[in-house]
Amino acid sequence: MTAQAFFQVLASGLLMGLLYALIAVGLSLIFGLMDVVNFAHGEFLMVAMYATFGLWAIVGVDPVLLMPLVIAFMFVFGAAVYLGVVRFAMRAKTNSGMVQIFATFGLAILIQGVSQLLFSPDYRSIPASWLGGRTVSIGGVFLPLPQVYGGLISVLAFAGLYLLMSRTDFGKALEATREDQGAVALVGIDRNKVFALGWGLGAALVGLAGSVLAIFYYIHPQVGGPFALVAYVVVALGGFGSVFGALAAGLIVGVVESFAAIAMPPAMKSIPVYLLYLGVVFIRPSGLFGRL
Amino acid sequence: MTGFNRRHVLIGTAAATVTARPAFAQAPAEIVIGALYPMSGANAQVGVDARNAFETAVDIVNGMHEVALPGAKNAGLMGLGNAKIKLVYADHQADPQKGRAEAERLITQDKVTAIIGCYHSAVSNTVSVTCEKYGVPFMCADSSSPSLHRRDLKFFFRPAAHDEFFSKGMFDFLDAQKASGTKIETLGLFYEDTIFGADSSNTQRKLAAERGYKIVADIKYRANSPTLTSEVQQLKTADADVVLPSSYTTDAILLIKTMGELGYKPKNIVAQAAGFSEKAVFDAVGDKLDGLISRASFALDMAGKRPSITYVNDKYKARGNRDLNDNTARQFMAMLVLADGIDRAKSTDGEKVRAALAATAIPGDQTIMPWGKVAFGADGQNVDADPVLIQYIGGKWVTIFPKSVAAAPAKWPM
Amino acid sequence: MTPRRWQLVVLFAVTAGFVAVPAVLRDAYLLNVLILTLMYAALAQSWNILGGYCGQISLGHALYFGCGAYVTSLLFTKLGVSPWFGAMAGGCVAAVLALALGYPCFRLAGHYFSIATIVIAEIGLLLVHNWDAVGGAQGIQWPISRDSWWTLQFARNKAPYVYLALGLFVITWLVTYWIEGSRWGYWWRAVKDNTEAAESLGVEVFRSKMAAAALSAFFTAVGGGFYAAFVGYIDPESVMTFRFSLLFALPAVLGGIGTLWGPLVGAAILIPMTEITRSYMGGSGNGVDLIIYGALIMFIALAKPEGVLSLFQRDAKPEAAR
Repeated sequence: MTAQAFFQVLASGLLMGLLYALIAVGLSLIFGLMDVVNFAHGEFLMVAMYATFGLWAIVGVDPVLLMPLVIAFMFVFGAAVYLGVVRFAMRAKTNSGMVQIFATFGLAILIQGVSQLLFSPDYRSIPASWLGGRTVSIGGVFLPLPQVYGGLISVLAFAGLYLLMSRTDFGKALEATREDQGAVALVGIDRNKVFALGWGLGAALVGLAGSVLAIFYYIHPQVGGPFALVAYVVVALGGFGSVFGALAAGLIVGVVESFAAIAMPPAMKSIPVYLLYLGVVFIRPSGLFGRL
Repeated sequence: MTGFNRRHVLIGTAAATVTARPAFAQAPAEIVIGALYPMSGANAQVGVDARNAFETAVDIVNGMHEVALPGAKNAGLMGLGNAKIKLVYADHQADPQKGRAEAERLITQDKVTAIIGCYHSAVSNTVSVTCEKYGVPFMCADSSSPSLHRRDLKFFFRPAAHDEFFSKGMFDFLDAQKASGTKIETLGLFYEDTIFGADSSNTQRKLAAERGYKIVADIKYRANSPTLTSEVQQLKTADADVVLPSSYTTDAILLIKTMGELGYKPKNIVAQAAGFSEKAVFDAVGDKLDGLISRASFALDMAGKRPSITYVNDKYKARGNRDLNDNTARQFMAMLVLADGIDRAKSTDGEKVRAALAATAIPGDQTIMPWGKVAFGADGQNVDADPVLIQYIGGKWVTIFPKSVAAAPAKWPM
Repeated sequence: MTPRRWQLVVLFAVTAGFVAVPAVLRDAYLLNVLILTLMYAALAQSWNILGGYCGQISLGHALYFGCGAYVTSLLFTKLGVSPWFGAMAGGCVAAVLALALGYPCFRLAGHYFSIATIVIAEIGLLLVHNWDAVGGAQGIQWPISRDSWWTLQFARNKAPYVYLALGLFVITWLVTYWIEGSRWGYWWRAVKDNTEAAESLGVEVFRSKMAAAALSAFFTAVGGGFYAAFVGYIDPESVMTFRFSLLFALPAVLGGIGTLWGPLVGAAILIPMTEITRSYMGGSGNGVDLIIYGALIMFIALAKPEGVLSLFQRDAKPEAAR
C-alpha cells in the first residue's frame, strides 16, 4: 500500500468514525440517563434524514441552513417519544429492559411504515447542494466536503455536549438524575421533565447526524438499520453512558472498518470491528470508558 | 368453499401432474393471476414499479389496443370468451419462507391460474417449487439467477435472459470493442454479497479467464453498507480499463458518489443493470454517469424497430411517472407472454396452461424487447432472449450493441 | 392434584386441541400460519430457558437457529442423512457452540452481554455468507422429493408439519416444566434475581448459565432444522439475520417472560398478526401493514408489560411460583 493510499484510508475512516460517534452519542446519552436501549435509534436517524429531505424539497434551501430546523424538530420528536411511549415502558415492574426493547422495536416498525406511507418506498437523495459532491485534495488524499462538514459538526457537538454536561444547570440535573433517580425528586427536580429533555437532546444529536448524512447518502425507510447496528456496537465499545467513550469508540470503529475493507474481502469488513468489541469487553466488561 | 370439501390427500411425485382444480366447463369471467413482489422493506419500490408494469400489461390485454403485441387487439382473452385478467398482489418481504406461504395462499385461496414474480432470486426459488407442487405455472419475470431454470421444474418459465446471457453479452461487446482497436486488458469486478452478486461475478470471472482479460480488482462488498470508501479506493488503485459493477439501487448511488469523492473517474463502466437502470440512481448521480454502459433486456430507443415501445412506455409513464426500465419492461412482457399462454390454452387448468406456455412462439417484433423471439426450451428458459448494451448519453439511453440493433457506436472511454 | 400437575393436564388438552386442527381445517394458508405459530412458540420456549428463567437476554439466537438449519440441510443434501438425525446433529453442534461462546460471554452483564450475542450472531452470518462450501449467498436448495416422514418432505400436505411443530413445542414445554421443578430451576431463578446472593448461597452460577445456554441452543437449532425441512431452501439472509433473534424473544416477552405458557400465548398473538397484516394488507405497498404491526407490538408491550398471560392469572404475577 502506498503512503498516499494509507492516508486516504485513514482519513476516510476518521471522518466516518466522527459520524458514527455522532450517530451513537444520542443513544449513549439516553442510556446513561435512564438505562434504556432505544431500538428505534436507526429510525430516528431515518426520520431526521427525511425531515432534511422534506424541508429541502419544500423550502428549497440548502441542507446546511436547514440543520437548526431539523434538530429542533428532532428534539420535539424525541421528547414526544419519551412522553408517549417510553414513559409507559418504564413503568413495567418486571423485566422492564425487555419491555423497553420491544416497545421501541414496535415503534421502529411503526415509523418505517409511516415513512413508507408518506414518502413512498422510493430511494430519495438530494442531488445538488453546496457541499454535495465536492471534494478537496490534500497531497493526493481526497476529503469530501460533506464528510469534512460532518466531522466538524461532530467535534463541535461533542464539545458543546461537554460544556452542557459540566457547566449548565440542565447538565447537572441530568447528571443528578442519572446518579440517583429517587433523590432528585426530593430536591425538586421533575424526573419526567429531565427524561423528556434527555430524549429530546439524544434525538437532536442523531438529528444532527441525519442532516449531515442526507447531503451525501440515499434516503429510504430502511436506511437506519445498518447505522443503528454500528451505533449499538460503538456505544457498547465506548461504555454505555459514556459520552467520551462514544467519541473514542466511533473513531476506532471507523478506522478499523476502513482498514479492514482493504486487508480482507470487504464483505466481511465488520468482523474485525465485532471482534474488537468482544476482545475489549472480555478484558474490560464495561467497555473502554464505561462505569459498571 | 370448494377448497375445503375437496379432499386432495394423495400427494406425492404425482403432485406435479395432478391438478387440484377441475377443468372449467365454461369460460370464467375473470382469470386471476397472482403477483408476488417485495411491497415493504428495502426493495418495496420494485414492487410498486412492478405493479404499474403489470397494470399496464393487463390494461392492454383486457382492452382493445391497436398495437403489435400479443392479445392487444381484442378485449380480454379470446380463447376464454373474452375473459378479463384480474391481478392479486402479495408481499414477500424478500423472505423465501414468506414468498412460499404467500404463493400457497394465492393458489389455494385466490385460485390463481398462474403466479408471476418475484424479483429476488431466493424467493423465486421457493415460489417456483411451490407452484410445481401445485401444478400452477410460474412466470419468472425478472429474477436472473441462472440456477433457477436448472432444477427440472416443469412449471417454470422465464422469457428474459439470465445472468450468464447478460454477462456473455457484455463480454461479446468488450471483444468487439477490442477487435476495433480499443485497448481493453484489465477488468475490475465490483459486486454485492448476494445471490445476484455471486452469480454475476462467477460468470464474469469465468468469461474473463476464457477470453483473456485480466481481473485487477475483485471486490465483494456488503450490500447496504454505511460506507464504500475503502472498497472504491481499491478500485481506484487498480484503475481497470473497465469496471463491472453488480449493484442494486442503494449501493449504485453510494458507489458513484464515493467515486466522485475520491476523485476517481473510471475509464469505463459496464454495469450489470440492476441499480443502474433505476430512476432513483439517475436522479441522484445522473450527472456523473454520462457514458455509463449497461446491459439491458430493453432499450427505449429501439422504438424505431419496435413501434409498440412508445405506446407501452407512454401508458406506463402515465401510471408510474417514470420510463420503462430493465425490470419493468421484463415484468410487462412476462405478463403478456403469460396471458398469451392462458389465451391459447383456452383453459385455466394448470397443466393445459403449462402445455400452451411450453408451445409459446411469439416473434420478436411482437414484443417490446430486443429478443429474437419468445420460445421456451424444455427447462422453461427462453432461448432467444438476447440482451443488448445501452449507453447513457446526454440523459438518454442509446443502444450501442449488438451492431444489428445499435443506434450509435459506443462512446469510449465514457 | 398440585397446581403443577394441573399444568400437565392443560398441556394435554392444548395438545389434543392442536392435533385435531388439521382434521377440520384444510386451508393450506391457515395451516401454514398454525405451523409458524407452533414453531415460534417452541423457539420462544427455547429462548425462554436462557432468557426468561436464567435471565440472560440473548439477542443472538439466530446463530443457533442457522446452525441447526445449515447442519440439517448440509447433511441431507450432501450425505442423504434424514433431517431427524440432521436436526439432532445441528442441536449438538449448537449446544457445543453455546458452551464455547458462553465461557467468555457469561462474564458480561446486562446490555454488554446482549450486544455481545448480537455481534457474535452477526459474525456467524457474515462467515456463512462468504463461505462457498456451504452455499455462500446462494444458500442450499433441498431437492424436490416424494412425500415421506423420513425426509420430512410433504408437497401439499400440511398436517405432518403441524404435528412436527407441535411435537417440538411439547418437548420444549416439557423440558421447561421439568426444569422449573428441578434443582436447576431454583438455581436459575436465583441467578436471575440476584447473582451475588445466589453465589453466596452456593449456587454454581457459571455452571447454571452454561447449562441453560446449551439446552436453549440445542432446541433452537432443532427448530432451525425443522424450518429448513419445512421451507426446502435456506440462505444466510433467511435464517441467520438479527430479525430472527428478535422473533425468538418477542413471543416470550409479549406472552410473559419466564413463564411456562408465555411463549405459546405470545406466539399465538404475534405470528397470526404478522402473517395476516402482511397477507391482506401488504400487497398495497403503502406500508399500512407495518404501521398496524408495529403499533400492535408497541401497544401490547406497553399495555401488559408483564405479558399477556398476566391477564389470565388471578394473582397477576408471572413468577408467583417463587
